[in-house]
Amino acid sequence: MRQIVLAIRAERMKLRRSKILLVTFGLFVFIPLLIGLMMYVAQHPEMSAKLGLVGAKAQFFSENSWKGYLEIINQLIAVLGVIGFGFITSWVFGREYIEHTLTDILALPVSRSSIVLAKYLVVLFWCLGLAITLFLVASIMGLLMHIPGWNLSVFLNFASNYFLTTIFTILLSTVVGFIVSFSKSIVAPLGFVLLMVIMAQFTALLGWGSYFPWSIPGVFTVSNSVEGMQLFPVSYLILFLTFLLGLFSTYAYWKYADH
Amino acid sequence: MKAIIQSQNLSKSYKGFLAVSENNISVGKGEIYGFLGLNGAGKTTLIRMLLGLIKPSSGKAFLNGMDISKHQPLFWNRVGYLVEVPHAYPNLTVKENLELICHLRRIDKNKSIDPIIELLDLKDYTNRLSKQLSLGNKQRLGLAKALIHQPEILILDEPTNGLDPAGIHDIRELLIDLSQNKGVSILVSSHILGEISHFAHRIGIIHKGRMIDEFNTNNLNELCKKQLLVNTDNNEQAIKLLHQKGFSAEISMENEILIHESKVILNPEGIAQMIVSENLKLKKLNMEEENLESYFLRIIKEKEV
Repeated sequence: MRQIVLAIRAERMKLRRSKILLVTFGLFVFIPLLIGLMMYVAQHPEMSAKLGLVGAKAQFFSENSWKGYLEIINQLIAVLGVIGFGFITSWVFGREYIEHTLTDILALPVSRSSIVLAKYLVVLFWCLGLAITLFLVASIMGLLMHIPGWNLSVFLNFASNYFLTTIFTILLSTVVGFIVSFSKSIVAPLGFVLLMVIMAQFTALLGWGSYFPWSIPGVFTVSNSVEGMQLFPVSYLILFLTFLLGLFSTYAYWKYADH
Repeated sequence: MKAIIQSQNLSKSYKGFLAVSENNISVGKGEIYGFLGLNGAGKTTLIRMLLGLIKPSSGKAFLNGMDISKHQPLFWNRVGYLVEVPHAYPNLTVKENLELICHLRRIDKNKSIDPIIELLDLKDYTNRLSKQLSLGNKQRLGLAKALIHQPEILILDEPTNGLDPAGIHDIRELLIDLSQNKGVSILVSSHILGEISHFAHRIGIIHKGRMIDEFNTNNLNELCKKQLLVNTDNNEQAIKLLHQKGFSAEISMENEILIHESKVILNPEGIAQMIVSENLKLKKLNMEEENLESYFLRIIKEKEV
C-alpha cells in the first residue's frame, strides 16, 4: 500500500507545470458552456433563424426542459469520456515513452505493479475531476438559463446515471493503458480510441451495443424504452471483464515484457 | 572474491538475431569493470538484462549473489544505474527531478540533493528545467540520479557521453574514489578503450554479442604490440640482409622496414649495428608501440577473421 501511495505522489510530482492538465480541465469547462449556449438558442427560436449553423444545430435540443438537457449532458460524458479519458490514459502512460523516462522507474524500490496501479489511480482521479467539473458547469449553466421543468428527483436520477456512465467509461481506460505500453507510443492508443468511438456508434446502430464494451456507457445513457438500447447483466459483465483484461494485461506487460 | 555483479551464460536474441551470446562476467566488491565494444556490440542489451529491464533468452544475471528476478523491490535501493542517453522529466527542474528520485527511493531529499548537486557540479542549473540542459549537463543529472542514494552497485552505460574533457576527468576521479574508498562495485560500458583503461581494473571486450577478450588493465601494455621501424638509404638491400640473418621483416606502406620479432624489440641496437656494418646509412630507427585504440580495433579484426 505504501508503495502505491509513493507512486501516486510521484505521478502527482510529474504533473507539475503540466499544460495537459489545464487544457483538459479547460475543455471540460468549455464544452458544457457550448452545450448551454445551444440550449439557450433552442429556448429562443427567434435566435435560431439568425444564427445559421449554430441555430440549426440548436434544433437538436428539441426538448426544452431539464430532462432533455440532462440527457444531452449524460450522452456527452459517454462520448467525451471515451475520447477524453482515453487521451488522459495515453498521456499518463505514454509520457514515459515520449520522454524516455521509463528505464528510470523500472529498477527502483517501488514495484512495477505499484507504478501501474498508481498510474491507473491517477487516471481515475483525473477523469473523475473532469467529470465533476463538467457536471458542475453544466448544472450551473442549466440554472442560469432558467430551463423549465426543474425537478429534484429528475436531477438526482441524472446525477447517479451521469456518474455511473463516467465510471463505466473510465473502466475502459485500462485497455488503452495496455495499448500504450505495448506500442510504446501514444499514436496507436489514440487511433484505437477513435476507432472504438466509431465502432461504438456502428454496433449501437446494429443493435449490438449491449455487447460491445465501448457502446455500453452510451447505451446506458439512452432511455430503456428505446428499442435495441437495453443493457443486460451480461453487458455489465462484459464491461467489467474488459476492465480486468486491460488491467492485468498492462501489469503483465510491465512485469514480463522487455523494456 | 565474491561476485557482486555477475552474468552466467547470459544470452539474448531477437527474432534470430543474437544480441548477446553466453556472456560471463564477474565484478567483485570495489572493482571497476570496463565493458568495451563498438556501437551495437551488445553492451546496452547486457546492461538492461543485468537491471532486469529485459528478460534473457537464456542464462542468469546476479546482483549481490542473488538472481535478479528474486530480489525484493527494496534491493534496488542498493543499485544505481544509467542506461544509454540520460533522460529526465523535461518540465521539471534539475532539483525537482532529483526530488522525484529521492521520493521513489524513500531517501531524505533535504540531506541528499545538495551534496549530489555539489558533487556533479550542477549548482548553477538547480532550478533550470531539464529540457533546457545541454547534453553534458543532462549526463550529469543522469549520474546524479544514479548516485544520489549512495548505491553499493553502479551500472553505467557510457557515462561520459557528451561530457567535455574536464567532465570526463571529474567522472573518472569520482568512480575511482567510489570504488577505492567506498567499496562500490562498478560496471561501466564505453566504446573508447583509451578512456576506460584510465580507471577500470579489468576490461572485457564485446563484439557482435560475444566476449572476445578480457584482461587486467595492468597487463594492457604487454598486450599492445610493439614494432621496430627502420629506414636506410637502401631498404631493399637492408631487408635482404635481415632475411639472410633470419629476421622476419616487411616493407610498410611508407616504404619503411617493419620488424615485429620480440628478440629485435628487446635488442634494437643489434639491428642498428648489423645495418651499419654492411655500409648502409641508417636514417631512422624507431620503436613504436601500438596504441590502445589500435589494440582494440586489432582484436576485433582478428576475431572477425
